[in-house]
Order: sequence, then C-alpha cells, then structure tokens
Amino acid sequence: MGIITILWEKWREFIRDFSRITLAAMVAPLMYLIVFGWGIRTTMNGQPYLYFLIPGVISLTTMNGSFNAIAQNLNVQRLYEKAFDQVIISPTPLWQFIAGQILAGALRGLYAGGIILFLVSPVKTGLIFNPVSFFILFLNGAVFSSLGIVVSFLARNHADVPRFSNYFIMPMAYLCNTFFSTDNVPHGAREVIAALPLSQTSRMIRSIAFGEAYHPVGILILFSYLTIFTVIALYFVYQKKNL
Amino acid sequence: MIELKNLTKTFEDFTAVDSLNLQIASGEFFGLLGPNGAGKTTTIGMLSTLLLPTKGEILINGERLTRKRQDIKRKVSVITQEYSMRQDMDMDEIMEYQGRLYFIPVKQIRARTEELFQFAGLTEHRYKTIRKLSGGMKRKLMVCRALLTEPEILLLDEPTAGMDAISRRQMWNLLRQLNEQGLTILLTTHYIEEAQALCHRVALMNGGKLNDVDTPAHLIDKLGAYAVDVLSPDGVHSRYFSEREQAIAYLSGLEGQCTLRDTTLEDVFVEQAGKRLS
Repeated sequence: MGIITILWEKWREFIRDFSRITLAAMVAPLMYLIVFGWGIRTTMNGQPYLYFLIPGVISLTTMNGSFNAIAQNLNVQRLYEKAFDQVIISPTPLWQFIAGQILAGALRGLYAGGIILFLVSPVKTGLIFNPVSFFILFLNGAVFSSLGIVVSFLARNHADVPRFSNYFIMPMAYLCNTFFSTDNVPHGAREVIAALPLSQTSRMIRSIAFGEAYHPVGILILFSYLTIFTVIALYFVYQKKNL
Repeated sequence: MIELKNLTKTFEDFTAVDSLNLQIASGEFFGLLGPNGAGKTTTIGMLSTLLLPTKGEILINGERLTRKRQDIKRKVSVITQEYSMRQDMDMDEIMEYQGRLYFIPVKQIRARTEELFQFAGLTEHRYKTIRKLSGGMKRKLMVCRALLTEPEILLLDEPTAGMDAISRRQMWNLLRQLNEQGLTILLTTHYIEEAQALCHRVALMNGGKLNDVDTPAHLIDKLGAYAVDVLSPDGVHSRYFSEREQAIAYLSGLEGQCTLRDTTLEDVFVEQAGKRLS
C-alpha cells in the first residue's frame, strides 16, 4: 500500500537525520521553558507559570515538528530534487501519498512533543497527559502536516516555505493560547485567534493537563481544518495542470 | 500502442504543444526531435502525467491516460531530463523506494536491484548518497530505476545528456537490446545521430507543432541523400541532391572549398529548424 511506502521513506529519513531532527525539535521549546518558565519566575492563577507554559509549548512543538517535516521537505522534492515527479509518474494512488505524508508528519510532530514531555518529566508539575492528550497532539500534527503539503504545492521557490513560516506559523506559536490565555486578547482578535487550530489544541491539552473537562468541539474544529487542507492537497495532486 | 490525439498544452499565453497527433506502435523505437522549445519535454511531461493537457488526450492501448489510471501508469517508466531523485538517499534506497511505489515485493526489488547494478557497474557505489555521484552514474541509476519496474513503455527525455562517449554507446546498446525484447521506447534527444542510430521512426517538432513523421531513411531521402557543403565567408551552405551524379555535376561547377557527403538526419533537422527560424 502506498501509505506504507511513504511511511517507509519518512522512516528512512528519520533514521538518517535522527540527531539533527531530535536537536532541532528540542532547542527552541527548551529555550521557551528555560527563559519563561525557570528564568522569569512568575505565577499565573496562583500556580507557577511553568505549569501553564508546558502544555502550550508541547502543542506548538507538535505544530512546528509536523509542519517542518513536511512543508520544506516536499518543497525541495518538488522544486529542486524533482523526486516528487517519480511519485506522480508511479502507479501509487496520489491520495495514498497525501495520506502517508499527513500520517508521517503527525508522527514526527508527536515525536517532537514527546521529547519535550520527556525532558520536563523530572519536574514535578502534576500535569496530566493521557491518551486523549496524545490523540489531540497527533490530530494537531496531522492538521499542520496537511497545511505543510498545501504550502509546499503553492510555493514557487525555496524561500516561500520559510516565508510562510515567518508570517503564519511563528505568530501562531506565540499567540494561540501557548504563552498566555487568549481570554486576555481584545474582543474581535480573540475570536479569530481562538478559531485557529493551535489555539484549540493548546486549550484542550491544558484543560486535560489541569484535570479539567476539555471542550470536544475543539476536536471537531481540528478535523474540519484537516479535511479542508486535505481536500486542497488532493485537488493539487489530481487537478493541478502543472505540478 | 500510444496515441496522442489533438494534444495541446498552453502555459498562460504560450502554446508549448499545439494539436499534436501521433501514433506509436507497440515495440516501436520512436524519436521525438526538435530544437530547444520545440515542445518535446512538454510532450513527455504530458505522457508521464506531470503536466495535464490543455486540450486533447493520450491513449495507451486504447485507454485514456490520467493521473488516476494506476493500471496504465504501472506499464510506463520515465527517465526525465533532470535527475529527479532524493539527494539524501543512497542508490539502494532509491531503488527500493521506486519498487515500493510500483508495489513490487521487497524481496523482488532487492534481487532485481542486484542484477541491474551488476549490469550497470554500479554495485560498488551502491551505498553512496546521490549527491556524491557523478552525472554519468546518476544517469545509469535512473536507467536501472526505470527498468526495475519492467515496463512495457519507456519514455526517455534526453537520456544521454551529460554522458561521455563510451557511456553513451553503452546506453545505446542497452536501449537497442531492450527494444529488441519488445519494449516500446519514446526518446527525445538533442543528439541527432542517436535518433538516427536507434529509432525506427522519428517525429520532427518545431514551435510545438509536428513538422514531419517518418523513418530516418525516408526523411533523408525526402531532403536528398547527397549533400554538397560549400564553404563561403559567411559559413557553410549545403545543397541536397537525390542522385549522386547530380551532386557531382553541381560540385564540378563550384570553385573554392566544397565537399560531397551523405545527408544525415541532422541535415533534415537543421533544414526544418532553419526554415522555421527564417
């Protein structure tokens, strides 16, 4: 099955670049935790700020891990290496290629988030991460993998993906319920930010981590994003005249 | 059989391929010739579904080729003009990836890779990553990769570009052998002698249109089998004659440096391309 082929390809890539991938996944989130969590010691709602920060940082790490694993790689394969041509030419159904990329990207995001979780595990925070948390993180990774596919197909040159990251992914990383609650954002902007996928993920992960009930509508919102991006990606591979 | 029916491809306001009609029989070795910008690579692009036609269609054994037709795509292998390989993979991985994309069992991929690498002299380099290979080795690997899937149709876009003379001859022999075994081959090339040496029929394209389709021998006969080259201050001018005697008679009336020779497919190509330019 084509999905297994793509997972195999991504697995080989993961093994080959294991140390680079692992380090890249660790550095920025660790800096956030050290600077904002341990460096600037403050509290939020009567608890150490670090407790608030950890679920947000793990959420944004899965987002970055998934998006970066797919967008830049596929962009290079399509525009520079032309390796993507062989996929189009081959009899592997293109929907399986897309599904494989989304799945592989989501797993890479989960791996990146898992590293941070492992690194903060010695700190006794009492935060809860259960199978539902991992499912939400996986879903978040799938959303950003599918977005990565769309961005890589829209890109016209190698600089377009980093540019998109700067304009959209990085602001999301800071604004979407990661470092502070969107409840503090002025009306209007708050609703827009709250509707973004990372805001939904962070909110649900934090609620679970604090032992509170999470709003399952967030899962529906994430599925909606995943569906929209997947449909666009499928449109590109099946209908775009010049790939 | 490959049939191109009224095949047209436009990029915004530029028509790269214009109403191309062509039939290539099963087992045929067919060449697509033309100057830069003639539409050869665009045609291969549409045959490999990388590009979708603006108008017209492609039929393979009577079935319409689309990106969704797995059964048709299974029969076709393409050697693109660019290397089209992941640079961070090694040769073995490239072959395994290709085999998996074509749903070939892994055991079979490995056995066939072994054979193909031995045949192409790549065995000792198999663990080198692609970025460390020479251009010639990459070309050989692309051939191995294309043959791994045991296709019925092989599309080759400038397959010997960047190869030295010896490697090119080896490639010619290999392609000839494969064609003798029944493989249908569609080749685009800038090396006209390559098309003359290998192809049963060639199509001459220019400006996206088909100028002529015939066997190399017939195309040469149409122009005249004998060429007289006359060296003048503004370059070499050639005239063509169907009879040797006519050419000799013309030659005897000339002064200065001139030569009589057999017409080649390159002359046909230059004449056709030259007419278009003028």
